[in-house]
Amino acid sequence: MKDRFGENQRRARFQALCQALRPDLLRFAFWLSRDRALAEDVVQETMLRAWKAQDSLLDEGAAKPWFMTIIRREFARTFERKRIPTVDIDELIRGELPSLAATEEHELAELRAAIFKLPDEYREPLVLQVLMGYSTAEIAREMNLSGPAVLTRLFRARCQLRALCGEDTQQDPPE
Amino acid sequence: MMDHDTYRRALLSDPRSEDAGMRQHRDTCAQCAAYTTRVLQFESRLERALQLKMRVPAAGHGSRRFALAASMLLALLAAGAVWLAVPRTSLAAAVVAHMAGEPDAWNTRTAVADPKLESVLNNANMRLSAGAGLVSYANGCEFRGHVVPHLVVQSAAGPVTVMVLVHETVSKQVQFDEQGYRGIIVPVPGHGSIALLMRGPDARMDDVEGIAARVRNATVWLR
Repeated sequence: MKDRFGENQRRARFQALCQALRPDLLRFAFWLSRDRALAEDVVQETMLRAWKAQDSLLDEGAAKPWFMTIIRREFARTFERKRIPTVDIDELIRGELPSLAATEEHELAELRAAIFKLPDEYREPLVLQVLMGYSTAEIAREMNLSGPAVLTRLFRARCQLRALCGEDTQQDPPE
Repeated sequence: MMDHDTYRRALLSDPRSEDAGMRQHRDTCAQCAAYTTRVLQFESRLERALQLKMRVPAAGHGSRRFALAASMLLALLAAGAVWLAVPRTSLAAAVVAHMAGEPDAWNTRTAVADPKLESVLNNANMRLSAGAGLVSYANGCEFRGHVVPHLVVQSAAGPVTVMVLVHETVSKQVQFDEQGYRGIIVPVPGHGSIALLMRGPDARMDDVEGIAARVRNATVWLR
């Protein structure tokens, strides 16, 4: 009886953890996929896999990177399983802008449109750093890159974003 | 000593870096200090742009959603899940767990704009009068399948997080003290419950209860 209660408690805690992290996971998945429906599907699958593998999460404090690793693998599997149609960025932005801009000022909507336009290899480390708070070393580990390679991608991501958003880039350093 | 281009490359790679070499260059170069200010302004916008509000997917929209929900339910059942048997004390655990998702909310100090606060409180069909105190953070958060107001109210004892849980009922006041958070969940007849919590070893339950009374008195339910 006591064991069952303990098991219930453990499951409840895991459920609560999933719920607490879900918004961030959805955001990350959305920025990765640029597709809300796909992001929701991937997060659902991630939760299922996490649920089945919850015994491998030894430290709740490390839950976020643990989920992030699962979500990235789930994305890779999704791309292996089915051919994702090529994204027409202009079409995507036209479709997303009204909802993105509904409650935010125009400049944020413009910036989001620019983020959509970044190549995947620049967008992902940028999202990991800015949204998820990952250090360079953590991004390098997650993406299987060297530290300098991560920094180069982050530098290029910001340079492109700044140019796309009409920032004054005259004082930006050359590549 | 770092040159301008090296500094700016490093800055654009990681604007929040605390690297000593970068700080030294910035402190001695007015041009790069000004450049840093502009980059950080852009970074702040970037952070806000990435913080999309993600809504809970609507139930029953399309067969794929249904199939996913069904497969998830089956998988959970197969795994011996006991979702329905989860004790109500898990509500407190869920509230505490939610704190991990928005740690920066605790560091807010200035009042949120009235339209923002109003928009967030609309999720719970409520308003707050000025008697609640200064609200420094307001966000509509996903919590157990609903979007709920998550507020931080400033008090003499420090910031207090308030979550308005109109979809969660408790039969009586619940106290909790876990993972460095102390708080209460108070029943609000007809409107679910409100969770309030403080963090840190100095958090006192008396203070939380005082703020709870203040918030409840300042709450105007719109229906």
